[in-house]
Amino acid sequence: MPSRRRTLLKVIILGDSGVGKTSLMNQYVNKKFSNQYKATIGADFLTKEVQFEDRLFTLQIWDTAGQERFQSLGVAFYRGADCCVLVYDVNSMKSFENLNNWRDEFLIQASPSDPENFPFVVIGNKIDIDGGNSRVVSEKKARAWCASKGNIPYFETSAKEGVNVEEAFQCIAKDALKSGEEEELYLPDTIDVGNSSQQRSTGCEC
Amino acid sequence: MLDGTEDEEKFLAAGIAGLQQNSFYMHRALDSNNLRDALKYSAQMLSELRTSKLSPHKYYELYMRAFDQLRKLEMFFEEETRRGCSIIDLYELVQHAGNILPRLYLLCTVGSVYIKSKEAPAKDVLKDLVEMCRGIQHPVRGLFLRSYLSQVSRDKLPDIGSEYEGDADTVSDAVEFVLQNFTEMNKLWVRMQHQGPAREKEKREKERSELRDLVGKNLHVLSQIEGVDLDMYKDIVLPRVLEQVVNCKDELAQFYLMDCIIQVFPDEYHLQTLDVLLGACPQLQPSVDIKTVLSQLMERLSHYAASSAEVLPEFLQVEAFAKLSNAIGRVIEAQPDMPTLGVVTLYSSLLTFTLHVHPDRLDYADQVLGACVRKLSGKGKIEDSKATKQVVALLSAPLEKYNDIMTALKLSNYPRVLEYLDVPTIRVMATVIIQSIMKNGTRISTSDKVEALFELIKGLIKDSDGTSNDKLDEDDFKEEQNSVARLIQMFYNDDPEEMLKIIETVRKHILAGGPKRLPFTVPPLVFCSLKLVRQLQGQEENPFGDDASTTPKKIFQLLNQIIETLSGIPVPELALQLYLQCAEAANDCELEPVAYEFFTQAYILYEEEISDSRAQITCIHLIIGTLQRMHVFGVENRDTLTHKATGYSAKLLKKPDQCRAVYACSHLFWVEDHDNMKDGERVLLCLKRALRIANAAQQMANAARGSTGSVMLFIEILNKYLYFFEKGNPQITVASIQSLIELIMNEMQSDSTTSDPAAEAFLASTMRYVQFQKQKGGAVGEKYEPIKYEPIKA
Ligand SMILES: Nc1nc2c(ncn2[C@@H]2O[C@H](COP(=O)(O)OP(=O)(O)O)[C@@H](O)[C@H]2O)c(=O)[nH]1
Ligand SMILES: [Mg+2]
Repeated sequence: MPSRRRTLLKVIILGDSGVGKTSLMNQYVNKKFSNQYKATIGADFLTKEVQFEDRLFTLQIWDTAGQERFQSLGVAFYRGADCCVLVYDVNSMKSFENLNNWRDEFLIQASPSDPENFPFVVIGNKIDIDGGNSRVVSEKKARAWCASKGNIPYFETSAKEGVNVEEAFQCIAKDALKSGEEEELYLPDTIDVGNSSQQRSTGCEC
Repeated sequence: MLDGTEDEEKFLAAGIAGLQQNSFYMHRALDSNNLRDALKYSAQMLSELRTSKLSPHKYYELYMRAFDQLRKLEMFFEEETRRGCSIIDLYELVQHAGNILPRLYLLCTVGSVYIKSKEAPAKDVLKDLVEMCRGIQHPVRGLFLRSYLSQVSRDKLPDIGSEYEGDADTVSDAVEFVLQNFTEMNKLWVRMQHQGPAREKEKREKERSELRDLVGKNLHVLSQIEGVDLDMYKDIVLPRVLEQVVNCKDELAQFYLMDCIIQVFPDEYHLQTLDVLLGACPQLQPSVDIKTVLSQLMERLSHYAASSAEVLPEFLQVEAFAKLSNAIGRVIEAQPDMPTLGVVTLYSSLLTFTLHVHPDRLDYADQVLGACVRKLSGKGKIEDSKATKQVVALLSAPLEKYNDIMTALKLSNYPRVLEYLDVPTIRVMATVIIQSIMKNGTRISTSDKVEALFELIKGLIKDSDGTSNDKLDEDDFKEEQNSVARLIQMFYNDDPEEMLKIIETVRKHILAGGPKRLPFTVPPLVFCSLKLVRQLQGQEENPFGDDASTTPKKIFQLLNQIIETLSGIPVPELALQLYLQCAEAANDCELEPVAYEFFTQAYILYEEEISDSRAQITCIHLIIGTLQRMHVFGVENRDTLTHKATGYSAKLLKKPDQCRAVYACSHLFWVEDHDNMKDGERVLLCLKRALRIANAAQQMANAARGSTGSVMLFIEILNKYLYFFEKGNPQITVASIQSLIELIMNEMQSDSTTSDPAAEAFLASTMRYVQFQKQKGGAVGEKYEPIKYEPIKA
């Protein structure tokens, strides 16, 4: 790639429904939070410009539906992700236990070139609730899990109060950038132009 | 159209290859800032999306790849405009692309940059784009194109606070755009079912189902638009969306979109528009699964109600319960053929709802159960297993909510719903009820409540008419009866009169349980009664008390009858144990004749019913142990009982068992703290008798060479000697102990005995004890000093 430097970083947010994925993204991108619960359907993204060591990047942050019935088209959008954020609710053990599934599912579906070193970031959200009294997943437990999965960076946030959200996304951007650059190194954007098969019928005339 | 997925993979691979190839050239053009080539190759790349050969899933894969490439193109367009290229010119330029589909993708991409440039109001550009997209009427391609439009415009809607915010009507503009796109997409989606041959309908429905989120996504976008307040939702958004839903007359779309509406819009809005939302239900196609839709709505609202007490007034203000209840009634009425599962699911959701929203209104909960009963009546027992499960959920809900069976007992319709369950499920439900009581430690404190509770759990208490439990697994049965036993322990009232009533109620019910259950249920009832006895025991009996008052004597009479019921089963060991328990309690109440009576009963059982030798051993030791603790007996009664006990002991089948029982009897004649019950001579007689039996056993063992001897028995007896020696029984002399030790040593050294390490160890530790006592010095040391012992040299 001669001149065009890669400036788009793709981030996927995964986790059970209701843990605060949409809220985290809205807090980070729009500095807004709503107490109302509105389910997410399908997947879509918001973008945010970030600056890192004098360079500007566009973070493309994909928010997803945690419920299967609102993910009818599958997860083709995982492809090309530079970082995957796994979110759970510190007040829900189930959402924490499911992180494993989300991680596995991501690695299978996105099949990154180097799964061992693919950057994940884990976020334990909703630490504000009840002043932390209704919390059921301890920081220690969460960190232990992160350590066991190859030292995944870990953040505890409140999307509601904006606590640690900026910091978490800073780290996400940094890791995405690192992985993006490595990818460029190993996978130069060349394809086999010679092997073309143009003689295919396409659809109708529209 | 395709059959094999294999072919499809091939088409996808080819599409991807074509796409990559063109994107390669597109990149090259981008790198050299060659706009024309960039447009040419991006249009060619996008032509791959014109295929009709892919299922929505695969098409989505292809689309995502194109999508990623278009982001790069978009950035290029931005750079171009920064370099001075007019965005309006660009907007014109891309319209020269030959094919309409690539053209519209490019137009949307430039449009996004156009809005960002703010050279035209966002709403105008969006309006233009959403109109232009009408050019694609092929459902799959149209749906993806429009979702592309939706995606690129997502952060450029002119809603409040957005940098693209327009004039006063700015929110309406944003809403209008999304609604229009939604309407068009829904039309494409619904129309799809009519395209292609009828035989492929099933496949088409599957594909439509895969595409559903593209349509539903618009509702999510609507819900995220900043500035859609309740009024706007009520006046514009909801009516417009529902209009689409109702008018499309398509089952799949209606069911899915109702679900989406419920899930994407906030609870407060639902509460304030319940009439409208519920009013749409009867207008949907009859085949739509309304019960699931309504259940999901109620589930959601229940969660909301549970989230904070502060929101409850909202529910009251809009009379949510009445509205939902009516809506359900109407749906059920309109669908007389609705399967039981549907009916029960609806009532179950409504019950959960009212439990959360109106925890204080038990009458509402009872109403719901009553309505459910009315619907179930006349249909006999429920046979559908899913419906059965749902009834269990329905009946479990009040238990979970109140954590208190007492509340459920107040629901008059509760047992009536139970009636419709099959026998095994009634038992499951009974177990659930018992578990709830145990978990919450609920005390059941009156006989009326016990009565009501037994009505609920009667499936466990007796065989139901006409059905036997033959099919029931033995372990399950035991488990169930054990849970009943635990339950009986939860019945308690401080007031003895009431407690006695409870006991009588329990007795009445468990007697109906038949011989298989009684062994489980009688013991807890006995212990419950004994607990009452203990409570009364401290109190002075009122000499002027009338006959009706509760006295230990009266309870013992009842106990006698209760245990008597076991006689027919028969479980003599259990009955014997219970008699002995009662005897001991009577002892503590100083009721000698009563205690004697219980012992007599136990002895009769022992003599007449217990013939198994192992059972005899267990029972004789129980008898000896209990008898030893009895102090209420006068000399005569005591003599009779101890005499018999020693007699039974000596008649056990095997010598060693005889020996052990007999030496145990020695304790009957030496009760610490009761000086009138210390008869050293008879102690010695017992021990001597035990020695004789041990001797006989030893000889038998010697005769049958090879079997280990009874030296163990001698050591055990030695221990008894030492015990009574220490307790100061004058009949036990140093000499007698000394000779016993010698006897044991001889036995151990004799050739005919095989060496027995256990016996050696036992002897060694016994003698260590003697040594230890010696070393204590003082009176004890002096007492033990004369006992001599030389260990055998190996
Ligand atoms: N108290 C609190 N509530 C939160 C927080 N994050 C999200 N929520 C709430 O949790 C619910 C679900 O959040 P959402 O972002 O939609 O979760 P998602 O399904 O993972 O996208 C909403 O009602 C939010 O208001 C948080 O940090 N603190
Ligand atoms: Mg969400």
